[in-house]
Amino acid sequence: MKKIKRFAALLMAAAVMTLGVGECVHAEELPYDTYTYTYWEDIAITPAAYVPNGSASGLSVGTTDFAEPQDLCVAPDGLVYVADTKNNRIVVLGADMTTLVRVIDGFDRDGSADTFNAPYGVCVSENNQLYVADSNNKRIVVLTPQGEFLKIIDNPQSEILEEGFDFVPLKVTVDYADRVYVIAKNAFEGILVFESTGDFTGYFGTIDVKITLWEKFWRRLASKEERSKQLLFIPTEFTGIDIDSDGFVYASNIDSEGVQGVRRLNPRGEDVIQKGENENLGGDLIVGMYGTYAGPSEFTDVVYRGRGIYSLLDRKRGRIFTYDKEGNLLYIFGGLGSQEGTFNTPVAIEAVGDMIIVLDAYSGTILKFSETEYGALINDAVGLRYDGDETEAIAKWQGVLKLNENNELANSGIGKAYLTAGDNKTAMKYLKLAMNRKYYSIAWRRYRNELMAKSIGPAFTVIGIVIILALLYKKIIKNKLAKRKGGLAG
Amino acid sequence: MNELFSKEKWKYAFYTVSHPMDAYYEIRHRGRGSVPVAIVLVVLFSLSFSINRISASFIVNDLSPLAVNALTELFSVLLMYLLFCVGNWSITCLMEGEGRLKDIAIAAGYALTPMIVCFNVGTLFSQYVTLDEGGFYYMIIAFGVAYSLVMALMGIMQVHNYTLGKTLVTIFLTFIAMLIIIFVVLLFVDLITQVYSFFYSIYQELIFRI
Repeated sequence: MKKIKRFAALLMAAAVMTLGVGECVHAEELPYDTYTYTYWEDIAITPAAYVPNGSASGLSVGTTDFAEPQDLCVAPDGLVYVADTKNNRIVVLGADMTTLVRVIDGFDRDGSADTFNAPYGVCVSENNQLYVADSNNKRIVVLTPQGEFLKIIDNPQSEILEEGFDFVPLKVTVDYADRVYVIAKNAFEGILVFESTGDFTGYFGTIDVKITLWEKFWRRLASKEERSKQLLFIPTEFTGIDIDSDGFVYASNIDSEGVQGVRRLNPRGEDVIQKGENENLGGDLIVGMYGTYAGPSEFTDVVYRGRGIYSLLDRKRGRIFTYDKEGNLLYIFGGLGSQEGTFNTPVAIEAVGDMIIVLDAYSGTILKFSETEYGALINDAVGLRYDGDETEAIAKWQGVLKLNENNELANSGIGKAYLTAGDNKTAMKYLKLAMNRKYYSIAWRRYRNELMAKSIGPAFTVIGIVIILALLYKKIIKNKLAKRKGGLAG
Repeated sequence: MNELFSKEKWKYAFYTVSHPMDAYYEIRHRGRGSVPVAIVLVVLFSLSFSINRISASFIVNDLSPLAVNALTELFSVLLMYLLFCVGNWSITCLMEGEGRLKDIAIAAGYALTPMIVCFNVGTLFSQYVTLDEGGFYYMIIAFGVAYSLVMALMGIMQVHNYTLGKTLVTIFLTFIAMLIIIFVVLLFVDLITQVYSFFYSIYQELIFRI
């Protein structure tokens, strides 16, 4: 009997173990790889930073399905606003995206009922006002979050706008002073800025047209007729827009060269974004040249996630790229497909607390991604560095290294900490692993000085002894020679 | 082969570095040079070049060690050396050059000595420098390359008994000749492959039918 019991216990243990192993494998079976690019611009697969964590659709919250929704926005109070474009309505979801708060499909404008026509963009300002880019009605509607009418911004008037400019707003965002930034269709000059009164003040953040010398040369050769038939050199349009707490505007754009797909615009409209070591903010560094997925990443939206971290959504390959304030690539995840956690037509990205949510226009769902331990450690470490708390960040970086010992940012962070602490030799080891040339050089110079200071005493002693010995030796030889000579003479 | 181990020949390679004009004259007219020594110098150059690329300190070296293959570099350097010698010889034959193929090979090989020395010194020195002092490292490398170029120029000039202007013209033509040689060789290889594949397909056809 005892034997049977023991056998049963063994079986149970084995079953539990296999189950445990099975779960481990399951955790690794994500529909996408999480990766980053190394210093040598090779792909390095890393542990997952974010994992799919369910989704929300119109049906799942208790209303009709979304029809090609184009934008979503997280309000300061945590509610999620979805621009349900084809259904001509704004749907407000609870912070956990399981409950329906309200549906705004019209508003009462000075006594007469008014509706939306293909609302493309939505934004809730810091002062808790709802801005809707009512595209086909060619206006921005400002409402209270409850859906009561406040004002309308439309028909921008200015001499810098070309004759017959058709104002079709697509994306909208609002800063702390209630200035309204609008991305409009065919507005190649940049982002349209409106004062809080609704007056158009001008374009903002124009992307310069890049003409190569070669193209200039050909244009010089071409006749007027030929030139008129050539393509116009038009700057790329902005695709997505977000604003940080300081009022700096993050705007994504499609860069055909894959060098810079996002801009950080200061209040004067100048790009002040920081680029990393490789001067690239264009998404994937290794891209195919032919086939369906050829060419560089196409960013369709950007979200500022706080503490200098921002994420970009690539619609071409359905990937999410996250950079820190200094332009370092933190992690890349996501993919196109039909599995849970993959996209078909990703259009908008937002951050809710620790989660990243992505809106898929084709399926009309919001996909949720929650951060893993690895992702959280990186986010925290980068955030602590942003706050200037490098010593606190060390523990986080060490945690990152335990999960991925090739993480260059972690090695760099730890190396810098050792450098500050004065342990130059250990700092050199980490900084070399991080390929951080600048700080490695500083560590090496300090270590070299240390070595020299240590060895200069003994070195001089040795040199002194050698000189004295040499002098003595010479004297002895001379004496001997003199003696011999003397002997000869004598 | 005895030449390889003769102390005198090796000493002469270094004498060439300090007195290029005189030494190249004697190489041409008194047979003081040696082709095996020149080839060994080329191999040494290729090795020091690869060593420099692999193990120069990463402060001054922006190459992934994995991207460097010393063996392929050795073969390509030897190939370029052969191409240069043959190209220069074929041009100078037409332009009243006095040098034989042997002299050209020696002149080009001996001219690499400063680069061999400077690349190795640079590799050692790079272990010591910091980022600010990197300029000294680049100076060492640049000095070696410049010295070698000047030596090669003098070598070609003396061996063929040319003026400076004519030497420059022939060197330019040499590069064109090298390109033509490469083109012809590629063409030849391509034709041979086509002929081969033609016969191979006939063979296959026969095999399948019989």
